Amino acid sequence: MSAVQQLVEEASGRISGASTTADLRALELEYLGKSGSIAGLMRGIGALAPEERPGFGQAVNQAKDRVQSLLESRVAELRVTELESQFAAEAIDVTMPGRRTQVGNRHVLGQAMEKVKRVLGGMGFVYDESPDLEEFKYNFDALNYPPDHPAMDDQDTFYIDDDHLLRTQTTALQGRVFERVKPPLRYFTIGRCYRNEAVDRTHGHTFHQVDAFMVDEGVSMAQLKGTLGQFAREMFGADTVTRFRPDFFPFVEPGVDFAISSPKFMGGAWLELGGAGLIHPSILERYGIDTERYSGFAFGLGVDRIPLLAYGIDDLRYFLDNDLRFLAQFPG
Amino acid sequence: MKFPYAMLLDYIVTDRSAVEIGDLLTMAGFELEGIEEVEDDHVLDIKVCSNRGDGLSVMGLAREVLAKLPEASPTELYERALRHFERPDDTTPSKLGVPVAIDTEACSRFAYRGFTGVRNGEAPALIQKRLRQAGQRPISLFVDLTNYVMLELGQPLHAYDLDKLRGPLIQVRSAKPGEKLTTLNGVEHKLAADQMMICDQRGAIGVAGVMGGADTEVDAGTTRVLLEAAHFVNTSVRKTRKQLGLNTDASYRFERSVDPEGVVGALNRVRELLEDLGHGEWPVEGVTDVYPRPPAPPSVRLRLWRAHMLLGMEVTDEEAQGYLGRLGFQLDGGDGDYDVTPPTWRPDITREEDVIEELGRIHGYERIPEVLPQGATVPGGGVTGRYLAEARLVDAALRCGFDQAMTHSLRAEGPLDSPSHASIKVRTPGSADTDVLRNSLLPGIADAVRRNGSHGVHLFELGPVFQPPFETRKALAFVSSGSLFPPSRQQDTAPSADFFSLKAALVETLSRVGVAPTFEASSADRRFHPGRQAVVSGPGIHGVIGQIHPLTAEAADLPADTVLGEVVLDTIGEAPEFHFKPVSRTPAVRRDIAFLIDKSVQFDAIERAIRAALPETLEELWLFDVYAGSGIPEGQHSLGVALTLRKADSTFTDEEANRERDTAVAALAALGAKPR
Repeated sequence: MSAVQQLVEEASGRISGASTTADLRALELEYLGKSGSIAGLMRGIGALAPEERPGFGQAVNQAKDRVQSLLESRVAELRVTELESQFAAEAIDVTMPGRRTQVGNRHVLGQAMEKVKRVLGGMGFVYDESPDLEEFKYNFDALNYPPDHPAMDDQDTFYIDDDHLLRTQTTALQGRVFERVKPPLRYFTIGRCYRNEAVDRTHGHTFHQVDAFMVDEGVSMAQLKGTLGQFAREMFGADTVTRFRPDFFPFVEPGVDFAISSPKFMGGAWLELGGAGLIHPSILERYGIDTERYSGFAFGLGVDRIPLLAYGIDDLRYFLDNDLRFLAQFPG
Repeated sequence: MKFPYAMLLDYIVTDRSAVEIGDLLTMAGFELEGIEEVEDDHVLDIKVCSNRGDGLSVMGLAREVLAKLPEASPTELYERALRHFERPDDTTPSKLGVPVAIDTEACSRFAYRGFTGVRNGEAPALIQKRLRQAGQRPISLFVDLTNYVMLELGQPLHAYDLDKLRGPLIQVRSAKPGEKLTTLNGVEHKLAADQMMICDQRGAIGVAGVMGGADTEVDAGTTRVLLEAAHFVNTSVRKTRKQLGLNTDASYRFERSVDPEGVVGALNRVRELLEDLGHGEWPVEGVTDVYPRPPAPPSVRLRLWRAHMLLGMEVTDEEAQGYLGRLGFQLDGGDGDYDVTPPTWRPDITREEDVIEELGRIHGYERIPEVLPQGATVPGGGVTGRYLAEARLVDAALRCGFDQAMTHSLRAEGPLDSPSHASIKVRTPGSADTDVLRNSLLPGIADAVRRNGSHGVHLFELGPVFQPPFETRKALAFVSSGSLFPPSRQQDTAPSADFFSLKAALVETLSRVGVAPTFEASSADRRFHPGRQAVVSGPGIHGVIGQIHPLTAEAADLPADTVLGEVVLDTIGEAPEFHFKPVSRTPAVRRDIAFLIDKSVQFDAIERAIRAALPETLEELWLFDVYAGSGIPEGQHSLGVALTLRKADSTFTDEEANRERDTAVAALAALGAKPR
């Protein structure tokens, strides 16, 4: 056996016996490096007769390729086993909790308000607001309350002075809009209302109200019912139905109370949501709107009622207490 | 109004149950609030709207049932009530002969009947039982009869012991200043002018429409009775009873309207009941009836096409005539066009829409179809302008990791109130802890932070604040306390909230509405640490931010490292307009500068100097290190600033980048900075 063959035999044995890629890197250096065994063989070429040199050179190069290829395939083999043990060592418990981050959560009432804005905005109602600290004339006079009428007893009012009060209803926006906008118009608002009531699970001195109204030619109770029906279905689900019952509010004629029923809430019982009706013609007349040509509807309801129904919350006081254990139950 | 169902069955014939009739009344606008069994009868509790005084009687509700339910029929008693229980000989004045004078416009009618030889014992068992069922206390025959007939017909009555009247005469007039009256409930009232009184020769014997006087009360010894039935103007009764702090079944009805035409009928009904009880000899012949101001119901035009248009459902001529006729309206005309006269018990009917409501509620609102509005109303809708900007602020604050809070506008004054203006006081507060309108959102949010434990709690609110004299403004406020992230594994210890974390959140949030606020050191606001507060200003906003003052922290029970900030949103408008700039494809280079500088030189000035020195190439600048302490001279600190440099069209060489850095260093040297 020639020295070249012997070297290849020996290298082959050592490469297949190597157990780490680090060993292989050492063998690579030993055999294929600049001062390695194969390079050493090549250096011996000068001692050969000129006619032997080409054959010898070819044999050494073949040996070099052979060793190279043995090394590469053994490296690939060992890499797989090494990665396997690395993966086993690096395995994590994926059921450990994530690294927590601080994500802001929208208040549950804020979520209800956003939804109302999407729904009514989508039906062409323009959002606007009026001040919480309102003038008597917009809260009562403009809404057709006769002076000193029992209708005001329903709304125990926080007065600041004789002419200023905390609005008892967001309907107070109506007069302000009629002063500057001519029909046709559709508006809605959401805001805080205040009434001097004893606080318990179902009453607060502060609550939130949606109020919407439109004035156009041919506006009818049927359109009011259609709008409220659509609103209720979008807010509470497609299987929600709406009911009108006669009621009295000085600013509408006819006036109704509207209730919804859904199999999801209290076994489908009628749940009163708010008041509605056709805007009283004397209000329209006060703002120079021709009631033979135009009519309008208005409706209002409590925002607080929405999550109350949707989530089965049993105490209104949660809303403004801001207990994060409560608010976090409704991520949004 | 509470009444036993059996009383309704005195007036109508129906085989419907009490519950069914209650539901029917609900759908007619008289809501059944409750139904209970008392002494073996169903007692209905009906809520009557404040414009429908006519519904505060069994007769009135019977009329509604008859209108809504054609299969029910009126009883003979109902028919007699419609005719006011009148008999042919009722036209003469009462033989009692007591003169009546009405000296006030607030009394439109005053009538009485006399009863002599009476024994004012107990009322019969049935009447007592029905009064108890209605929630009233039986007292004596005459008092019980007045209450019973009021329940039946809605007309308040009052029985005087004629022998206690001086004169005897009756005068209805305004009280005289200084006049006094002790009412039936034993309370002595000092009367004022404009308060309407029933008087005898010497003075007031009753508050008109509200309550009788103690002096002329019927009692067990009474033998002669003057029974009053009258009609008073609602606003006058309301004013007087409010001033005197009284609220009675009579005043409740007068405030909501009583039928002036029903006055004498109620007197006649008492006579009839006494006769039924075997006291036919008690009534004195005749009725004295002074009626200076009979009502003049309006004539209202009704066009059925308009009813159809407004209701969105059709009501035929025949149906309209039936509904309105059963409700007591008179109709002239036909073929869809009528002149309608409402009955005297319906003063709420004054115009066409009122009549249309009657058609709608009797026809049934459940028959109105659902139709969506059509036509040229308005293009688009939704949230725009300042309200859109507010929505963007809320979204941005949420993204900054703050939870949205909503706190009460009504509060008590506290240490975190804004010192810049007074709080508005509520004239009629509900309680001592809700007697002012907040002038800042901070007290409410801080309270919520405290109640949530103050550790790792970060809240914001966007809501109304109030400024004298009567201003409602919107503000955005943050309160941040403790670790910026929820507790996690120990090697991940999170930084705590401080002035700069809150500043970053505020800047980030305001940037979403195109506002880049400036921060100016201040020590003026007593709520904040004097060395760690800033006045915040920008287009359309103004406010303050800082670390809480240690004394305020103690007073508000908050950690001393709590940070708070609030901006008032004066004139924020539409969301900002954004414009496209081409994105450079050349790579950027970073150069850092570390230098010593006097602490008195504000970073603001440093940043301005660098930006001015590198107007073309500086893309980004940030402060990556602040150090003071060992090795740094007193009064100075070492700052590390990183610069990102980029040219639009070519790549920086090392040499060029270093030249830019040297330019910046030279600019800083002018501020007294020494490179490290």
